[in-house]
Amino acid sequence: MRRVSSIVLALGLVVGLGVWGCRRQDAAGEAGGRTRLVFKYQPLWGPPEPFRELLARFERENPGVELVTEALPNASDLAHQFFLTSLEGGARDFDVLVADVVWVPEFARAGWIADLSAEFPPERLREDFFPGPVEAVVVEGRTYAVPWYLDVGLLYYRTDLVPRAPRTYAELERFAREAMAKTPGLQGYVWQGRQYEGLSCNVYEALWGHGGRALSEDGRVLLDDVPAREALAYLRGLVERGVSPATVTGFSEEESRRVFQEGRAVFMRNWPYAWSEAQKPDSPIRGKVGIAPLPTVSGEPGSGALGGWQLAVNAHVSPERRKLAARLIAHLTSPEANRVLALNYARNPPRPAVYQDARLREEAPFIAGLLPMVERAKPRPVTPYYNLISDVLQSEFSAAVAGLRTPEAALKRAQRQVDHLTGEGP
Amino acid sequence: MNPRGSLARERRQAYLLVAPAVLVLGGVALYPILAAVWLSLHRFILVFGERRFTGLENYAYLLGDSRFWAALGNTAYFTAVAVTVELLLAVPLALLLQKAFPGRGLLRASVLVPWAIPTVVSARLWAWMFNPEYGVINRLLPGQDINWLGAPGYALHAAILVDVWKTTPFVALLVLAGLQGISEDLYKAARVDGASPWRTFVLITLPLLKPALLLALLFRSLDAFRVFDAIYVLTEGGPANTTETLSIYAYKTLMRSGDFGYGSTLSVATFLCVVLLAAVWLRLLGREEAAR
Repeated sequence: MRRVSSIVLALGLVVGLGVWGCRRQDAAGEAGGRTRLVFKYQPLWGPPEPFRELLARFERENPGVELVTEALPNASDLAHQFFLTSLEGGARDFDVLVADVVWVPEFARAGWIADLSAEFPPERLREDFFPGPVEAVVVEGRTYAVPWYLDVGLLYYRTDLVPRAPRTYAELERFAREAMAKTPGLQGYVWQGRQYEGLSCNVYEALWGHGGRALSEDGRVLLDDVPAREALAYLRGLVERGVSPATVTGFSEEESRRVFQEGRAVFMRNWPYAWSEAQKPDSPIRGKVGIAPLPTVSGEPGSGALGGWQLAVNAHVSPERRKLAARLIAHLTSPEANRVLALNYARNPPRPAVYQDARLREEAPFIAGLLPMVERAKPRPVTPYYNLISDVLQSEFSAAVAGLRTPEAALKRAQRQVDHLTGEGP
Repeated sequence: MNPRGSLARERRQAYLLVAPAVLVLGGVALYPILAAVWLSLHRFILVFGERRFTGLENYAYLLGDSRFWAALGNTAYFTAVAVTVELLLAVPLALLLQKAFPGRGLLRASVLVPWAIPTVVSARLWAWMFNPEYGVINRLLPGQDINWLGAPGYALHAAILVDVWKTTPFVALLVLAGLQGISEDLYKAARVDGASPWRTFVLITLPLLKPALLLALLFRSLDAFRVFDAIYVLTEGGPANTTETLSIYAYKTLMRSGDFGYGSTLSVATFLCVVLLAAVWLRLLGREEAAR
């Protein structure tokens, strides 16, 4: 009998440990009279002190609050996976979270992030922030997140090889050809054509440049239309006509940047991060690079895809904690915080006013100079189904760009699958 | 105390002793499988916030899902080609490693290096080697640069190459173990009879190596069928899903799209394929044992 009871005891221990492990979920919360507030975010590359100081200031201004930061994986995909599983499981062990620009409607629809309209009314966001990011965080007239910092697709060009930045697609091609004719081995235009989210950004930019919207009036994702077909035909045409190397269909950001940075391409589509790399002391193209809005068919400055991160509140935490969390968000998205992130971490402020800041213009002229592009940045289709459909779209976009299917066939297939997934259409 | 009572007690005790192991196994192996099967019978898409029982609806959709069949085709092709090439390379490698020569220990150890590197790390390395602009592979090959990871047709073969590079040593070790189980007397007898090395290999080594080869086939094909990390790092399934395997399709559906119902259906389908494959190999192995 003694043996049996010891086995029972062991089993009890195992079960007990399991239960205790589950209870730890609630660890965030009151601890010794101080409220622990947990902030889950991706690491900001750079010196840690300025950001720590920013957080410490919040603690000083809110006595009784202990701020804890927890790092997320640096890959957007993995961070999404983390939130998907933990928020669906009702996790309450973090209060404030960062959300990629395409997640907000999805998380709001699923009921995972709290409505912040009381603290951040949509009208006020529209006054203070750029229109693109506001469009991404306001879902059906309610605010669900506040823009933290942003990213935007840009055109990089070689000031020593072309007379000026091209305004139209035709001009880009002509400039590229002229430069390529003079220098053998030079490539025209490098971008991101590998099957992944970056390709979607490139496609939407081309689609907007051809006058498309990708969304119908009632918010349906609509891809089987003329601008979308023209956009895919244009991207595929770049490869077929030799303006872009055939290898571009395997490029993500770094592959294109390396080609451009070695001085082997005239134009590149990329995010702002490529600038500081191009200006490094040992860079062969240092001082020979310009940036501009992406070209369009009409010659009007084009829209770059909007990237970047927003701050949201976990809907599963108690109302009191939500209030505190909203206060933390207000602190982290203030003009002052925007400036700290811009000056120390080269993160682009989502508020137009900050671009007029004298110190920013002096110490980070590149960021201040991004204003014309940031103003025009557009979010990818704002729909709760974005992640559901982007997987399908990536594969069809890739098929068109790699020449496996015609743009017409790829878009028809894409539309059919989108309609099936979202339960709309015939 | 009668012996029968003590036997019964011992049996009871035996059950009690294995109970924790059975419980743990049930918890970590059986429960997730059953949970996946249960989920696969639902329409359960996180963003819709809906979860409703739909019976076999997901499976009906699966049968007509061209992306599923394409992924199954990719997976089967990857498995068949990779495992065949690995075996063809591993047997000569094992024969070489068995020969006594100076530095054999060092060679045996160094052959295992690719196997020891985490797949994600080696796949990253290979991705740079395959890079069409800088990659060492295009530098070494004569002729036109090949767009390894961006051209349909090439990308899957690039992934196969990575898998072959990584797991051939492992297969060679399994074969080597088999080789060492063959009695030296048989070779001596063959020499006495004047058999050529080739005849010796075909008539003695290969037949006696069969169980080891089958075991290697079992391990490798089950492993290759679930391939995920190498391909995910190299191409994420692109271009145009031409390198998408079942695991990658299931992962994307589950974790990227948040479609837990259909994602589970895909996982269950993958699981069934692997079970089927395992059953075939185990049967062959069993027949081999019985023949002895």
